[in-house]
Amino acid sequence: MARYGMALDYKSCINCKACETACKEENGILMGADSHRIWVGTGEIEGQYPMLDIVSNTFYPSQCQHCEEAPCEEVCPTQATYYDEGGIVRVDPEKCILCSYCMNACPYDARYVDNRTMTVDKCNFCADTRLARGETTTACQNTCPTKVRIFGDLDDPNSEISEVLRTREHFSLKANLGTKPKLFYLT
Amino acid sequence: MKVEISRRKFLQGSVVMSVVGATAISATSLLSKGSKPERVSFKNTKTQNGDAHEIATLCEMCVNKCAALARVENGVITKLNPNPMFPKSKNMLCARGNAGIQSVYDPDRLKYPMIRIGEKGEGKFKRVTWDEAYEAILHGTDKFPGLEKILDEEEDNRSSLLFCAGEGMAEHTFKQFYQAFGSANWLNHSSICLQTVASGYGVTIGAYPLADLDNAEYIIMAGANRAEAIVTPDTMDAFKRTKRRGAKLICIDPRFTNTAAKSDKWLAIKPGTDLAFVLALTYVTLTEELHNKEYVAENFNGFDEYQNSVISNKYTPEWAEPITGIKAKDIYTIAREFAAHAPKAVYYPGRRSTFAKNDFQLRRAMAIFQALHGAIDTKGGLVFGSTLPLKEHEGLQPLYEKAQARAMGKKTPNEEGHTGYDDCAVVSGGGSWISWRNRYIEDRMEYNVRGMFCYKHNPMANMPNTAKTAQMLKKMELVVTIDTMPSDTVMYADVVLPECTYLERTDPIKTFGGVEPSFAVRNKVIEPMFESKPVIDILRGLTKKISKPLFEISKKYDEEIQDEIEDSDEESVYAEFDLTLPFLHSQEEINHHSVAMYIGAAEKLDKDGVFYPKQDKYYKQLSVNEYQYYPENKKAYSIKGGKPITPSGKVECVMESFTSKGIDAMPIWRDEYEFNVPKGKFKLLTGRHAQFTQSGTANNTMLLDLMPENFIWINKRVAEMKNIKFADMVEVSSSIGKTRLKAYPTEKIAPDQVFFIHGFGQECEALTWAYKNGGNDNTIIEDHIEPVYGAAAMHETNVEIRKV
Repeated sequence: MARYGMALDYKSCINCKACETACKEENGILMGADSHRIWVGTGEIEGQYPMLDIVSNTFYPSQCQHCEEAPCEEVCPTQATYYDEGGIVRVDPEKCILCSYCMNACPYDARYVDNRTMTVDKCNFCADTRLARGETTTACQNTCPTKVRIFGDLDDPNSEISEVLRTREHFSLKANLGTKPKLFYLT
Repeated sequence: MKVEISRRKFLQGSVVMSVVGATAISATSLLSKGSKPERVSFKNTKTQNGDAHEIATLCEMCVNKCAALARVENGVITKLNPNPMFPKSKNMLCARGNAGIQSVYDPDRLKYPMIRIGEKGEGKFKRVTWDEAYEAILHGTDKFPGLEKILDEEEDNRSSLLFCAGEGMAEHTFKQFYQAFGSANWLNHSSICLQTVASGYGVTIGAYPLADLDNAEYIIMAGANRAEAIVTPDTMDAFKRTKRRGAKLICIDPRFTNTAAKSDKWLAIKPGTDLAFVLALTYVTLTEELHNKEYVAENFNGFDEYQNSVISNKYTPEWAEPITGIKAKDIYTIAREFAAHAPKAVYYPGRRSTFAKNDFQLRRAMAIFQALHGAIDTKGGLVFGSTLPLKEHEGLQPLYEKAQARAMGKKTPNEEGHTGYDDCAVVSGGGSWISWRNRYIEDRMEYNVRGMFCYKHNPMANMPNTAKTAQMLKKMELVVTIDTMPSDTVMYADVVLPECTYLERTDPIKTFGGVEPSFAVRNKVIEPMFESKPVIDILRGLTKKISKPLFEISKKYDEEIQDEIEDSDEESVYAEFDLTLPFLHSQEEINHHSVAMYIGAAEKLDKDGVFYPKQDKYYKQLSVNEYQYYPENKKAYSIKGGKPITPSGKVECVMESFTSKGIDAMPIWRDEYEFNVPKGKFKLLTGRHAQFTQSGTANNTMLLDLMPENFIWINKRVAEMKNIKFADMVEVSSSIGKTRLKAYPTEKIAPDQVFFIHGFGQECEALTWAYKNGGNDNTIIEDHIEPVYGAAAMHETNVEIRKV
């Protein structure tokens, strides 16, 4: 069985939002600012014009971290949140009762309410669209102009993501929480 | 490492997502008297896993023409994916490219031919058949005259009709109509687009070059914002490397842009003073002898004169510091670093409209600075690239005896003996839009121009001083617009002809020159919806209707035609004037013909959308994200062994011919170029964006999802003093008008400048989402004319701001 993860060359991100759009088009995500599975995080710049801190304006593309020890899965009272055979954290809308425990439990703020199904939704690495059709890239990875993302099987030593994680330094977000995220930020 | 990337934080921190127009939208339709449903929601479909097929096509959401694969399920386009086979776009599709689906299924689209029944500009139309629309163009209605009446009254002066078009793959098809029709009045986007940059480089090094950002080690990006104004392949090539793999990026911009965010150094420059910056760089290069002397000796014309000018004028970094706002020591450093990396160093030419009146001289100075290092036509520098030849489709260019020359006002030599034209020194093929418009409304034309054909072009939104454009459109007796969407210009039309969107038509094959040249084609993905048609079909129908009757008018007034008929017979003479000829064949037939000399090209283009010789051998996937198009030793980094491609084969430092037109022969600084803003006012800057393309995408719901409206950037400290908070509504006014939009206080802009992106604040009620959404820059940008090519200088306007 595969163990899917994603490496992000976040320093190449130009915050063009191609990924956000591709995600919405592929996965039929509702319009609106609150409905998005992925996003590019950035803070307001620090300093005073023209002495501005370039680093304070770094772009961090983000989405569900697909934790191996996912707090959202632990708190779900109906087992709507589950790990699929590829280790992808999924939500079964049939079981979800919108108690929103998972939304509070997620340290990465990766979950939101889908107003059509009135259940919680989040990134699923295009598991029910592209991956289900045998494609090997997610919509966000495929469309990215500067090729920030590398998606693949962490258990396959020959996969590009495994190679990249072996050879390049990387960090995970809030690693201290022990959630074991499968999104890796390459430095 | 601790990084906070939360969704909520993102919502707070970002302008774009903070305000969403979730309230009811009501709008009246262009097509019906009643109002639309109160709430318009746009459904976004998820891709399904059943039957689907993919068609290779090219994007038209902006000018780049990136390759896409359209996924079609049950006749519906459900997804646009990047087509990895195209060397120009290299397996990417930006936000706009993805949102192309919404342009097809936009409920506001022009669906049927229409003719005006209300007052001009009122937007009242009635639906008609295609034949009725063509008939109205020929014969007019009780509201407007037709071509027959106009040409008869103007005694067959074909130039009494203006033709204008926006950029696009089918612009050529429309241009064939203009050429066959015989008018001399052609205006396209060039004078509100690349005119001065393209010509500046053209006269200096022989062409507007490309930049090999894939191999450059040092990049100066000044007045160009490639992270937001995406250009393929430059955007990908540059930003895949800047932060990680070694290309050093110096960003020079008055604003802190996303490009600045990716740069190693951002230097805030005063708007319009880049020329002083380049001259100072040149001064350091020449005085420290950092240039490539061998190259210069062999490839320069007028070097001594230019060197003398730069040095004797004392364009020192210390001189430039107060003018540009950039520290002298930074200028020294940049000049030295550039030279150290040359020839793998690029002063990026940029790709934008004219901002300051000195833009042509700026581009000349940039080209010369680059060439001083021998960094042209070479790997890692500026490159010309090679282009695969395409067999041209033959057009028709009849000679009409009565057709007058282009209306532009030739200058009678003045006291200094300067020639040229009234409004500018040179008139290029695309004309000078604002000077033409202004002459027209001021009755300064040499003859009557009474009507216009407008293809994929929105003069109301695309050039400074909207009020004057409205005046022009009102004065035009017959306005025919061909477009996919309603627009502020379409509102002034007499006849509206609906073109289908780019995903519903096949366009002419285009050859894409560069380091990795190729052909690419836009293949039709789905059949045109409603009654819309591709422009070639529209012109086929229209010319069939008007060709014979208009020839009758020529026969009446054109003595040469009369003589020719006497000498031969009418039928053979008419064959030279038969407007239908360029449009007899289908676009698919024309395309196959145009690449007939390449074996297998036509089939490959139909199937994969991209072709170049030996593609099967060269093209391969290198990694999950990257592909090889040509092996390294087959790339066209150099086509002339590093030489410029001017007619003389030399870099032209001195353009003597310009002196007679009152234009400086060499780039020099003039005091009037200095930046200044009266106290209490702000210099208005405008610009482009990664999620919107001018006014063309203003109604796209997917893109509005990313940025619901435009905001005005105002310095945070200034905003505080004026008690303006985030999202407060402000009124921005200049000498010619006002507009309103919401405020974004930020330190990314100087205290004496404000900025907002172009393309918002449409006045066309038929655009559900774009109507009165945000502020319209062109209602306040004054129509300053750049002196060389008559381009619109867009950053020369001062504005006032008040909270409302």
